[in-house]
Amino acid sequence: MPNAADLDDSQLLAVGDIGALLARYEPVIIGRCIARLNGSLDAEDVAQDVKLRLLGEFRRGKRYGDLPYRVIVHQVIGWTIGDHFAGRPTDVSLPEGWEPAPSGDHADEIVGRGWVEWVVRRVSGKDGQIIALRYRDLLEPGEIAERLDMEPGAVYQAIHRGLRKLGELSRA
Amino acid sequence: MTLQLFDEFAASFSGGNDPDLREFMARAGDEAAVLAQLVDSFLSGAEPPAPAPERVELMRAWVRGEPPLLELRKRRRLRRQELVKRLTELLGLTPDREPRVAFHYHRLESGLLEPRSVDRRVWDALRQALGADVQAIAAWRPAPIEAAPAYRAGGPVEVYSQLRPESSAAAPEDAEVDRLFLSGP
Repeated sequence: MPNAADLDDSQLLAVGDIGALLARYEPVIIGRCIARLNGSLDAEDVAQDVKLRLLGEFRRGKRYGDLPYRVIVHQVIGWTIGDHFAGRPTDVSLPEGWEPAPSGDHADEIVGRGWVEWVVRRVSGKDGQIIALRYRDLLEPGEIAERLDMEPGAVYQAIHRGLRKLGELSRA
Repeated sequence: MTLQLFDEFAASFSGGNDPDLREFMARAGDEAAVLAQLVDSFLSGAEPPAPAPERVELMRAWVRGEPPLLELRKRRRLRRQELVKRLTELLGLTPDREPRVAFHYHRLESGLLEPRSVDRRVWDALRQALGADVQAIAAWRPAPIEAAPAYRAGGPVEVYSQLRPESSAAAPEDAEVDRLFLSGP
């Protein structure tokens, strides 16, 4: 479902401000490349190739209808990292006619729903509520404890339970 | 420990603080891969915080084919000579070595120097002189030039190939200075 940020992205795309779009997603691009390449120093090069590919697609006039731009960003990240691990060059444009396609794993749902919503659907009850307060509303554990009338220690335990379950799901 | 590190990273990222993932992975030790997996999931669905206005301008400059380091220096209203002088001082070098520092800095600013070959002390000095994470910006390889830029603020476009080349003849080789820019961290 498009959200307010998706609408902002659409407007930037419509006026041709690809620089502002890339500035917005750069931390995500670099972070995912570092994470997926396990900290390798090649990560920044791969991240740069992601940006160059996104710029290239934009200059080719590629627009993707109602698909949120963040979906495109994450697809290009996945595609480029895949090329890197397969030993294919990443400093080349995406193939002519490249179109985003679902990968079929939970990554699509995370991108589509947003991480917090994905978590809340999988971590039930109060633990899910606490995860949302921590990572969507950015409340400190002490603030969450006060809001939910809990002991801070219990909040920490709930966060850890939720993240532990996420860790299992991510590895599945 | 890993979950605590993830919590710290996620909160910092969402708060717009641009946390250093490699630093977190180093702290995770043997659990670095687990942390990386959690972070990758998180970043796949996290809404990125709004970028700082300066970061947006640097990226727009990069899209136009202009060196982002040059754009950063211009935004600081620093002439290259002033920055080179400051850089020389911060590196603990004597003024007579400024020409060689200038030679290498020009190449770095123009995107002609491999960032991985630059010593950490240079990045630290540039961070101090320019007040920004210069190392990250310097890693932006030049974007291909487009004939009709999609977005411009106005003024002449300085493309990498049009920058006046710094003559190495005026900057004789200097092993210590060369090591700072050519030997890696």
